[in-house]
Amino acid sequence: MTKEEVQGATEEEQQAQSKKGLKKQQKEAEKAAKKAEKQAKLAAEQHGAEEDDFAKDRYGVSAMVQSQQKLDRVLVRVQDLTLEKADQLIWLRARVHTSRAKGKQCFLVLRQQQFNVQALVAVGDRASKQMVKFAANITKESIVDVEASVRKVEQKIESCSQQDVELHIERIFVISQAEARLPLQLEDAVRPDGEGEEEGRATVNQDTKLDNRVIDLRTTTSQAIFRLQSGVCQLFRDTLTKKGFVEIQTPKIISAASEGGANVFTVSYFKTSAYLAQSPQLYKQMCICADFDKVFCVGPVFRAEDSNTHRHLTEFVGLDIEMAFSYHYHEVIDSITDTMVQIFKGLRDNFQTEIQTVNKQFPSEPFKFLEPTLRLEYTEALAMLREAGVEMGDEDDLSTPNEKLLGRLVKEKYDTDFYVLDKYPLAVRPFYTMPDPNNPKNSNSYDMFMRGEEILSGAQRIHDAQLLTERAMHHQIDLEKIKAYIDSFRYGAPPHGGGGIGLERVCMLYLGLHNVRQTSMFPRDPKRLTP
Amino acid sequence: MALREISSLEKYLGLKKPNKYSTQGDKKVPVLQNNNGPPLVGLVTIACHLVKEAKRPELLGDSAESRAVVQQWLEYRVTKLDGYTKEDIKTILKDLNLYLQDKVYLAGHQFTLADTFMYCGIHPLIVDLAIQEKEQYVNVTRWFDHIQHYPGVRHHLPPVVVLRNRIYTSKHH
Repeated sequence: MTKEEVQGATEEEQQAQSKKGLKKQQKEAEKAAKKAEKQAKLAAEQHGAEEDDFAKDRYGVSAMVQSQQKLDRVLVRVQDLTLEKADQLIWLRARVHTSRAKGKQCFLVLRQQQFNVQALVAVGDRASKQMVKFAANITKESIVDVEASVRKVEQKIESCSQQDVELHIERIFVISQAEARLPLQLEDAVRPDGEGEEEGRATVNQDTKLDNRVIDLRTTTSQAIFRLQSGVCQLFRDTLTKKGFVEIQTPKIISAASEGGANVFTVSYFKTSAYLAQSPQLYKQMCICADFDKVFCVGPVFRAEDSNTHRHLTEFVGLDIEMAFSYHYHEVIDSITDTMVQIFKGLRDNFQTEIQTVNKQFPSEPFKFLEPTLRLEYTEALAMLREAGVEMGDEDDLSTPNEKLLGRLVKEKYDTDFYVLDKYPLAVRPFYTMPDPNNPKNSNSYDMFMRGEEILSGAQRIHDAQLLTERAMHHQIDLEKIKAYIDSFRYGAPPHGGGGIGLERVCMLYLGLHNVRQTSMFPRDPKRLTP
Repeated sequence: MALREISSLEKYLGLKKPNKYSTQGDKKVPVLQNNNGPPLVGLVTIACHLVKEAKRPELLGDSAESRAVVQQWLEYRVTKLDGYTKEDIKTILKDLNLYLQDKVYLAGHQFTLADTFMYCGIHPLIVDLAIQEKEQYVNVTRWFDHIQHYPGVRHHLPPVVVLRNRIYTSKHH
């Protein structure tokens, strides 16, 4: 091809193009005109309609509640919406869980905590077309006040917790509007692993959930988990108080590490430095020396371990027990195991709904325990492990996989998820652990396990100042720093023992969950400081 | 490795005079210099020869069908199992587990050369399995446990502990 030819071609093309362009422009102009016409019509319609909207006062966005007025309006709770309330006109405050408009009707699912109910706005003599439209456009998770009559339904509503009734909305006001885009969908956050994979439905990964914890905590699963957790604390307190224990509060800013210096957080304390308590160990023991006899303490505990595992947090809630005993530290074990059993029973009897809700998303076998609690000695456990082909030294500590395996072996043999392992090797325990009188390589110490994972570590403590000094020196601890602690045993100290439980771990293992972050409301680990 | 296996087999077959072997190539393929004939090369070839010499033909299968199955597994052992990679382990165990679902021995109801061969070949895999995995491939471990206790088979290989009861009853924990 020559140059001219090319030019000619392009000119022709241009011409053709401009022709095309003209046509296009014309078309577009026509389109725009049509659109404008339509819009004008719609606006006119709307305008006209707005004027004759008879239900104008029955819906809308309320003014911000700044406590201007005291209405004597009773807000009914969603969980109370049963057949008993049928045909009553009630007021209700709830979140819009989902909304689905269908012609002249709009179905809403209203949610309050873990309960939800179906509600309906339909065009009729109470609601206008505009009201239905307004209801359909309320963003998910907005909080609304609703006046509605409760109606019995023919067919049970499977998707809601209140299955026997639905609400026919007469008034609806938005109290707090949620942004249209949510960082995660609640349905996605509660979907069990693997379900809906074929349909390409999303699940939300743990970090996204934790980043948007406030929304994640609204899910039925989270609601159930933390209600149950509150139950654990309550049962712990109730049981121990009944046994004559006294609740104490201990300082969390301390001058010396209680169990080895490696894993403590250092904080600057005016002109010197201090530590965050790894456990209230030293203080609860000092309370025993101060004649409090039986004490417990519920509070935060800090571990500066840089371990990113499914069961380690850097801050967690410790449930600590310390008690004086008469002659044998098994009195302490019995007291603690009984407390645990009371907690398990209380959960089983009073938190069945919560347990089942969590099970829906995270299936697990029901938690099993024996009465009295199974107590195994360390040597027996080693024998069981060796029989299963595990090679381990007599004075080795249990590794996590072996711990879990032992849990399975115990479950198979004794059918229990909760047991005590007694007589740990002295070498793997802290300096204040009382040595075994019959075998100096062993100690009077014990761990408790739930579903094969450690939840409690405890022991008889040394209440003799001299032996305590010897053991501290053996562990190469600076005696100056723990002087106050050792001195407290010089003026008469009763024999005593105790243990500390991690609240989050107990909840996780009781429910058979796989990550301790699920049972920590705002988890702290080496990589997470927010929210 | 192969030579040790052959000497184990000789002992199992009760051959009085141990033969002399050499190896050839990088992969150390065993070679048997026979007195009255050409040299025999390769694990399976030598093993079949020894079985015939010991007058135990039933170890190669007692029917046309089982003879074919035995040959198939002998082949599988030297082609698939020897020189497995990490990624292969799962498929090998999964397939074998499915195959052994309704069988006591590889060729059905009779102990054959295929069983000792597969036992030796799969031993390094089984040794490394966690208890939970052994339970996952329950048919393989049942067969393996049976063979390792079969009189005269185990020889130099260390025994592997196999639990009789299932301890992982559900997917969780």
